[in-house]
Amino acid sequence: MDEAKIEKKEITFSGIPASPGIAFGEAFVVNVEEQPVAEEHIGAEEVDAEIDRFTSALAATETELGNLHRALEDEMGEEHGKILDTHRMILADEIMRGDTIRAIRERKVTAAYALHLTLDRVLTTFAGIKDEFLRERAADIRDVRRRVLHNLLGQKIEGFSALRKKAIVVARDLTPSDTAGIDKKYCLAFVTDSGGSTSHAAILARSAGIPAVVGLTDLSRHAKPHDQLIVDGITGTVILNPTPESIDMYREVQARYRELERELLTLRDYPAVTLDGHTIELSANIEVPDEVDDALSHGARGVGLFRTEYFFITRATLPGEEEQYRYYASVVKRMPSDPVIIRTLDVGGDKIARWVGDLEEANPFMGWRGIRFTLARTDIFRTQLRAIFRAAAHGNVKIMFPMVSVLEEVRLAREICEEVKEDLKRNRYQIGEKAEIGVMIETPAAVAIADHLAREVDFFSIGTNDLVQYALAVDRGNTKVSYLYDALHPGILRLLRDTVAAARKNKIWVGVCGEMPSSIQGALVLLGLGLDEFSAAPYLIPTIKKIVRSVTYDETRSLARKALGMGTAREVREHIERYIRDKRPELGEFLPEAAS
Amino acid sequence: MVTGIARVKNKNGIHLRLAGELVKAATRFQSRVTVSKDGREVDAKSILGVAGLGAEFGSELQFRAEGSDENDAVAHLVSLVENEFARETN
Repeated sequence: MDEAKIEKKEITFSGIPASPGIAFGEAFVVNVEEQPVAEEHIGAEEVDAEIDRFTSALAATETELGNLHRALEDEMGEEHGKILDTHRMILADEIMRGDTIRAIRERKVTAAYALHLTLDRVLTTFAGIKDEFLRERAADIRDVRRRVLHNLLGQKIEGFSALRKKAIVVARDLTPSDTAGIDKKYCLAFVTDSGGSTSHAAILARSAGIPAVVGLTDLSRHAKPHDQLIVDGITGTVILNPTPESIDMYREVQARYRELERELLTLRDYPAVTLDGHTIELSANIEVPDEVDDALSHGARGVGLFRTEYFFITRATLPGEEEQYRYYASVVKRMPSDPVIIRTLDVGGDKIARWVGDLEEANPFMGWRGIRFTLARTDIFRTQLRAIFRAAAHGNVKIMFPMVSVLEEVRLAREICEEVKEDLKRNRYQIGEKAEIGVMIETPAAVAIADHLAREVDFFSIGTNDLVQYALAVDRGNTKVSYLYDALHPGILRLLRDTVAAARKNKIWVGVCGEMPSSIQGALVLLGLGLDEFSAAPYLIPTIKKIVRSVTYDETRSLARKALGMGTAREVREHIERYIRDKRPELGEFLPEAAS
Repeated sequence: MVTGIARVKNKNGIHLRLAGELVKAATRFQSRVTVSKDGREVDAKSILGVAGLGAEFGSELQFRAEGSDENDAVAHLVSLVENEFARETN
């Protein structure tokens, strides 16, 4: 079928892994580039018919948007539907309708060209807006224009209704209105140029169990319809026009991944207990309520970290109490008996919300973030706490404060919690009064005063990502020093040991919610250090469970004890790898393949 | 004819959704209503016009209404921007 007999050149793209799995297939490229509209004139007698064509196209688009609106509300909730409400207003706008009709009549041009003229003028105005956020709203206008043009030109929207056989969806970006039209049974994988692991496409892919890679920069410009693609959602690699060798290699990777996945999922209903009967809690890190399904299907017992930032930073305005309450309660109601640990807003650092305003910090990771921010903006803090305590009435909720570095922060935050609870009770709200309150241990100072902290909170959860970066003074995004970022640094292991000891002494539980347990070395050493709970991304849970169930607590304890006495991360790593090879060779498959 | 001035107090400015709300409110009045910023005047009943003003945080909007309910229109729209929209951040 391909007329080009010349081999297309293989190109490898690397992006951000957003949903695990391997997929092979043809590219279904969503045409994101707008087609130029040519200036075409019509005769005077054709004017009325052309205006009719234009108004029918508007009506057809209105029907289309109405359907999408309902589909989106059903799928993602009322909040996401709102964007289409504004799209419908743009469609009905007097400029859109009136100016275009006037242009058809006065300039005697086709409706498509008249619309193009009208919106070009609007878009030029937008391009002159100083404020970046306001300027970017032009994307919504283009989105509406694209829809009307497609209806006008009698083309089906190059959307996903055209996806009628299995393919890999390639796009510059996927908006909620795009994905609402996708029939997931035809979608083998999503790959997008933009977006991070919390982009809409990424979340959707994870909840549908479809591999996805995002942040590929310019893949959509290289991939042509029907080009062959391999998507590796585990490492974030996408191969365009793969050679037979690459295909063979990835077939093997896929077979291994599938087998492992099948095997791991059989563990779903078993507890995370070691061979000698030591049980740990295995729970999920989630960012949006939809991920609860994912957590449950992967065998999580509860949510160990419910990040609330996503809800705040993806919107232009602050969510109110009712809206937050419904959002948190939707998670709690799905897991009424398992713990759900809700972390209060952790903005700042790398995820400054738009509505914080201009916040220029020379060093945001040491700046106004986590509990420092919420204690300064108690209006935001109180609203969030009210919503959380109300959601807590539906299950077993625990509240956790991020970025604590001094004891006063905990005292102040607890005081506010008490006030909020009193006020809610006075107003006869149902609340979860007994909700435990804990802190994240992610600054070295918090470790150093862990004994004091432990007397004033109900639990600790160690955020290893930040703790490692602060303790080692390494920004892992900085390629010159990122080689130093290593959670197995003996200094880190000692901080973990001290934190566990302080918790034990004060009879509170201590968990970990960073990425550390996602490597086998990390998981084994954390187990041996005596952590009570691991919380990780849902798809990692089966692997961690398998590891825990394959070893004895006793041997990991001696593994950790030896590691604590070592001088370098390398020794620690080799020590653990030796143990795996000698004692538990069946776990060898979880070791990363040695770079050859 | 009645005019009134409102200052944009929410951090994000009058983005598309708020422009939509403003337009919905303006449409409820019979009067012809315009809004201008930095000398550029648009129809307050057009979302493309209002959003195209790019009214950022701190900017000043002037409403102008002419018609049977001109007083109410200006008072209502000024209050919408200064009070209800301002609450979007607080």
